[in-house]
Amino acid sequence: MIILFISSGLFLGWTLGANDAANIFGSAVGTRMISFTKAAVIASIFVVLGAVMQGSGASETLGRLGSVNAIGGAFTVALAAGITVYMMTKAGLPVSTTQAIVGAIIGWNIFTDNAVDSKSLTQIVSTWITGPIIGALFAYLLYHMIKVIRRRIKVHLLFYESYIRTGLLITGAFGAFSLGANNIANVMGVFVPSIPLGEADFGIFTLTGAQQLFFLGGIAIAAGIVTYSKKVIQTLGNNLLELNPEAALVVVLAQALVLFIFSSSALSHIVAATGLPPIPLVPVSSSQVIVGAILGVGVYKGVRNINMKVLGSIASGWVTTPVAAGLLSFFLLFFVKNLFGIEVGHSVNPPDATGDGLNLAMVVRYSIILLLVITASYLVYMVLSERKKTNRIKKNYYE
Amino acid sequence: MSLFTRTTNELAARVDEFFDTIEIGVLIFKEGVKAYVNGDQDAFQNHLRKIDEHESKADKLQRGIENDMIIHSILPQQRSDIVKLLWQLDEIMDTAKSSLNEFYIEMPRIPASLVHDFASLAEVSGNAAEELIPAARAFFREPHLVREKLLKVYFFEKETDKSSFNLKRKVFHDMSELTLAEKAHLRYITHHIESISDRAQDAADMLASMAIRQML
Repeated sequence: MIILFISSGLFLGWTLGANDAANIFGSAVGTRMISFTKAAVIASIFVVLGAVMQGSGASETLGRLGSVNAIGGAFTVALAAGITVYMMTKAGLPVSTTQAIVGAIIGWNIFTDNAVDSKSLTQIVSTWITGPIIGALFAYLLYHMIKVIRRRIKVHLLFYESYIRTGLLITGAFGAFSLGANNIANVMGVFVPSIPLGEADFGIFTLTGAQQLFFLGGIAIAAGIVTYSKKVIQTLGNNLLELNPEAALVVVLAQALVLFIFSSSALSHIVAATGLPPIPLVPVSSSQVIVGAILGVGVYKGVRNINMKVLGSIASGWVTTPVAAGLLSFFLLFFVKNLFGIEVGHSVNPPDATGDGLNLAMVVRYSIILLLVITASYLVYMVLSERKKTNRIKKNYYE
Repeated sequence: MSLFTRTTNELAARVDEFFDTIEIGVLIFKEGVKAYVNGDQDAFQNHLRKIDEHESKADKLQRGIENDMIIHSILPQQRSDIVKLLWQLDEIMDTAKSSLNEFYIEMPRIPASLVHDFASLAEVSGNAAEELIPAARAFFREPHLVREKLLKVYFFEKETDKSSFNLKRKVFHDMSELTLAEKAHLRYITHHIESISDRAQDAADMLASMAIRQML
């Protein structure tokens, strides 16, 4: 029976694998530096390792957002998120599983009259903005660094290419590990409170109940990578910005670093030990981070190269995903409860009782203002750099 | 991994060997023209044989490099550009060989007053091609240096145009002792020698854009 209920989570895992593996190995496969088979095998192994070894941190934060307290509810929430991601993936749009699951959980909170933990939601939503920015920053710096190194070491192009190829494999493995560690929360996080499994002793190592669920989720992600990610890679390809292999390496590394930072408990503890505020362990949207990283490289190369139309279609997906998942979750919960008579959860934390409930309107308002400020700043920067570039070209060619 | 490194090592060595072959071929061409206009037939025959060998060698190397790049999926994004560059360098070699062959087949009579002009034309035209090789080598190791290395190619190409113009003008304006057929023949030979630097310029244009893309 449990398997039947977690099947929606496994489906969500499959869609995540199909969709997000394109972020890790898409550029490397798209530039024909690595074969799809090799990429799929490496990504599958490391995504499972990341999920099992380091998946708990982000999962706890998601659990605080809405502790889905009935297995029927967890099933429906994961199903709503999975369907949303699948439909958008089918449409060839890179979507965020994080936003889908957050939208679906909020749908559950509203349906079951539970307050949304404003602190967790703020943490998660803030990563929707900070994730791509940090990704862009990392990518810009890493790309600059790789260019400086290339100039200093004077290595032959053919050897340089073989180093980049090896680098793509290593960073791809790291990216897959980080994806598993960070995004397994989206896949299995909702089931952790409602499926209490005992520890499993395998002699050499033991797996906690959550880790067993994460392992199953990891396998589902791997299945998504192997069976469907090739199509997504072909669709996404180099649409946003034509990436050369070294840019692909930088983009994957930047994304992996961001995902790792937001999922590593050890790193968070180290930062906290130095007296700084600990890094929040939250599920980050790998799709958003990758777009940020690609933009970082694009800004370094000159914004002229960026395909703004594709960027716009990606951004529209960011808005529609949580809204669609939230609505779908609400309606599916209604049908599952009233049509099939399955318990989907109950109110333990009503918004009025705690006074700590989320003022959704406030969050949305501030998020929109922040997004508008960022977009405006970016546009101003784009116009200025475009003008600078035009002037430079004129100077070089006409003077 | 060791197999892959070996392939890369071999390919890099073969690319260097290809550049060496082109460079030597251009030197042979210059010496061949000088030997012919100076009337040293033995040396000319020797250079003719050598350039034939080097041209065949360059062809083989070019094909081998292209095949290896496809089979081992090396530099997939730049492969077509690199293959085109190698093809253009090989074209220089082909032009140099066919130019010397024209001398051998048609045996143009070079008046004593034009010996220096022809030798000088072959020198500057060959120099344009010769200067292309360091730029092509730089593309593989230090692409940011390509542009400055290509300046010499463009300089020598312009010098070739000037020399060729002056030579043709001299033939048609100042040498009334030559028949029209002889003048036309000398103009034809001049064109042939000049075309080496034109080919070098074409390759230089391509190399410049490749280097810019490499640096982005």
